[in-house]
Amino acid sequence: MSKALIIDDEQQMRRLLRMVLESRGYEVCEAADGQLGLQEAAFHRPDVVLLDLGLPGLNGIEVLKRLREWSDVPVLILSVRDQEAIKVEALENGADDYVTKPFGTAELLARLTVIQRRRFTRQSAEIVVGALKLDLLHHEASLDEVPLKLTPTEFALLKVLAEHAGRIVTQNQIIKQVWAGQTSDPSEGLRVHINHLRKKLGETGPRIVNEPGIGYRLEEA
Amino acid sequence: MSAAQRTSVQSSPPPLSLAEVGQYSWGLTLVFVLASTCWVLLSYTGDTFAALVFLMAIVLAGTRWNRGPVLLMAVVSALVWNYFFIPPQYTLHIEKPQDVVMFSLFFIVALSMGHLITQLRAREAALAQHHQEREHLLAEKHRAELLAESERLHHTLLDSVAHELKTPIAIIRTALDGLGQGNPYAQEIETANRRLQRIVESFLEMTRVESDALEPKPDWCEIGDVLHAATKPIQQELAGHTLLITGTKEMPLLRFDSRLLAQVLGNVLHNATRYAPPGSDIEIQAALVDGMLELRVRDHGPGLPLGAEEQLFDKFYRAPDSPTGGTGLGLAIARGLMRAMKGDIEAYTHPEGGAEFMLHLPVKTRSAA
Repeated sequence: MSKALIIDDEQQMRRLLRMVLESRGYEVCEAADGQLGLQEAAFHRPDVVLLDLGLPGLNGIEVLKRLREWSDVPVLILSVRDQEAIKVEALENGADDYVTKPFGTAELLARLTVIQRRRFTRQSAEIVVGALKLDLLHHEASLDEVPLKLTPTEFALLKVLAEHAGRIVTQNQIIKQVWAGQTSDPSEGLRVHINHLRKKLGETGPRIVNEPGIGYRLEEA
Repeated sequence: MSAAQRTSVQSSPPPLSLAEVGQYSWGLTLVFVLASTCWVLLSYTGDTFAALVFLMAIVLAGTRWNRGPVLLMAVVSALVWNYFFIPPQYTLHIEKPQDVVMFSLFFIVALSMGHLITQLRAREAALAQHHQEREHLLAEKHRAELLAESERLHHTLLDSVAHELKTPIAIIRTALDGLGQGNPYAQEIETANRRLQRIVESFLEMTRVESDALEPKPDWCEIGDVLHAATKPIQQELAGHTLLITGTKEMPLLRFDSRLLAQVLGNVLHNATRYAPPGSDIEIQAALVDGMLELRVRDHGPGLPLGAEEQLFDKFYRAPDSPTGGTGLGLAIARGLMRAMKGDIEAYTHPEGGAEFMLHLPVKTRSAA
């Protein structure tokens, strides 16, 4: 059974989330502020954390930074703030994904499942996303068993997206991994390569979805 | 006082002002009056008294008047003293050596008194001005700090109001999801909650647009991504319509704030779904004209009320006979956002019927690659 920690200052929200998660078989613990949240995380060792960004006192970003000092537990950000900057800040400080309140329960559960899955896929030299298969050893990709012709940059880009399949990756995170050390602004090049990749993945492959101001998400078709 | 400041005080006297002409005349009059008085009293007081009276007058004048009149007074009173008071009278000739010394001393003292005092005043004035400038600067700085603080407060307030308003809506949403789809009452609550959410978001966005808290963040974008982001939140409303999209496939990469444009497009499309008959097409046409991105959104509804092409974008404007449930903010926000991006939005009735919205936005196109 997965253990989930809810850190949110709204009691009603915590209660509802507890009901939703318990009905899906999660064991749930909760905390009303950041400090308590960190204590609970250390004490209960949850499998996933749902973290509200608008916490009183120690704010969500700060909680995330301190948590990341000793734990790589998957973290899902819950936030009513729809400003992009704060989401990007959270994601680049180690959050795995976010949902914006008000969110649908189905969306929340799907995100939780995806961010918990990431631990298991890391071990293998092969990444599978729907019909897409990436062979990291031989730098080869195939779609429905048909080899895809990719340039080294496209492969690196697709690899980053596929490693995070279903999860948002910020533009900076992609650039850091694919264009490391390049001084000129690669955001234009990123768009160009995304375009090429979309064409090569076609209708049957996973879709590369853009979230304006944040980044990209690879979604199974 | 620095050398530069001193020369600036002394150099290039401006043409005589009326006040200065007055000072010159008063100076000469004063010398005349004092000379006459001393002349009358000469037999009682002797000529040294007259010299002291003149000196006093010069010092007093120096505390109030400019340098020119004071120096003139000094020279004139020295000559008058010499001519009328120092024996032999009525000549500028001085007989006794001690009188020559007296006259020279008087002349020097009068001149330097006048000079020193006026210079002191100029220095004081410069100091006062300097002080004033500093106060002004400090006041400016204080004002800027206050402004920044109030802006920060405004943001914090906006954030916390947003939090307070959206949290209950989020709780209702989650609770309704828990209730499940079957209950028709729950469905009504959900519809109302969605409407409430849109109203709250419109008000918050309008506040942001009006408070200039918006800073467009241009980046390279794919127009298709903008369309996707614009239509996703209103899928439910768009479900009854067919979107016909042209011109986006061949569009190169463009540089603008895609999030803001997506929101504008979302608002315009949402507006179209409210007026267009169910099942009708909504056309989106994209074109690049002289560095401007042009997006046309046309519906097949009743078109715009006559003469309302501009009013449409006013805050809280509701077209006559418009369906209930709107805030009258969507298009005002759209215009605010477009203008924040140095673009604009216009509306008119299409010659063949239906309303057409025209968005134009200055964009950078890709460097040849």
